[in-house]
Amino acid sequence: MPRVLAQRKPHLLLFLLLSLNLVLMAASVRGVRGTSLLDEAILSIAAPFLKAAAWSSDTVAGLWGGWVDLRGVEYDNRRLRAEAGTLTLQAREAEEARQEVRRLRELLALREESGRRAIAARVIARGAGGSARILLLGSGTRDGIARDQAVITPRGVVGRVIEAAAGTSKVQTILDPNSGVAALLQRTRVQGILVGDGESACRLEFVSELARVDVGDVVVTSGLDEIHPKGAILGVVTEVGEAKDLTRHVKVRPEVDFQRLEEVLVLTGPPPATGEGTP
Amino acid sequence: MRLLRALAGLALVCLAQMLLGHHLPSVARRCDLFSVYVVFIALTRPQRPAMLIGSGAGLVQDALTGAVLGLNGFKKTLLAYLVGTLGSLFMLNHTVPRFGILFVSALFDPLAELGLSLAMGQHYIFPAPGDLLMLGVGNGLLGLAAFWVAARLP
Repeated sequence: MPRVLAQRKPHLLLFLLLSLNLVLMAASVRGVRGTSLLDEAILSIAAPFLKAAAWSSDTVAGLWGGWVDLRGVEYDNRRLRAEAGTLTLQAREAEEARQEVRRLRELLALREESGRRAIAARVIARGAGGSARILLLGSGTRDGIARDQAVITPRGVVGRVIEAAAGTSKVQTILDPNSGVAALLQRTRVQGILVGDGESACRLEFVSELARVDVGDVVVTSGLDEIHPKGAILGVVTEVGEAKDLTRHVKVRPEVDFQRLEEVLVLTGPPPATGEGTP
Repeated sequence: MRLLRALAGLALVCLAQMLLGHHLPSVARRCDLFSVYVVFIALTRPQRPAMLIGSGAGLVQDALTGAVLGLNGFKKTLLAYLVGTLGSLFMLNHTVPRFGILFVSALFDPLAELGLSLAMGQHYIFPAPGDLLMLGVGNGLLGLAAFWVAARLP
């Protein structure tokens, strides 16, 4: 081997011999950490590769673990979304039921308060064009509903039954221009007839020009029409016009929100006789 | 045969250096027989065998002196190469150039060791100039004596 090397260029031999001696030195000399320089050199050279290998291994393991976790997360996500959808639906249904119970409780309380026989009926349709001049109820004569029965809610008077079939009935609300409810101002006891304007308000007619009417006065039923119970709230005065032809123009905003009406109370029984207790 | 003679010369150098270190340590500090031997070989032999013998001599010196293994091997290899290169470029057959090359080789040794020590992160105390001068002169004289003796050997 030395002969073979010696026959080649001296630079190569020089390089090999110097390298050999360097390796020997590196193996002999102790570094700052107590290891030989050869070990340190080998470690220094190998460290990047070892780090790269460790990093690759960790990365692959991490990616694999992440992928496996992701699969689980994806499955959980899908399942949880389905559960969330179901729960949301149930929550909405529960909220709807809760609100319905609240409304029915209010109707029940109103029925007990009125002292008259009454039934709760569901609003199943409104008049043509979505106006609230006419309402269709899901109860009819089978349930005891008949023509000219008052329809009220805890908020106030809705109107009166104008037609009754076996399972349905039609209600003319106080917004209808053809309706007329005997009314009076709660504060001043000034009487009049509440007529609808066909849209979303009413007007109190036949109010004397001498009568004291102020904006904000509460309008209630007077009971003189023998349909609506006395003292039921109709609305609030929103505008008082100039006197004309001995009467005054009074605009009333109904208390009932006809667009959001869902259940009503139909007073099917006669008003309690005066002097008698509540039935 | 040449190899045997070279090995015999190396053995002789080892023996002489050990004896000097034992009995005349002050003299041993002022001469490096291994360097003298390597320069002698480099000037009398081709470059490639000179480097091999230089490397071997250095390793033997490391083993004998307890130095870092490879340190003197490295230095002596490099020394053999440089002296061989110079010998191929210049006429170094006369006394003065030989003394000069022996003197310079004595200075090269600590310089190379200083460089290697720095490279390896080891501490090295560089010899005083006077000691270096004495080493150079000692190596030069011993080298000239070696050339004189070798010229008279059969």
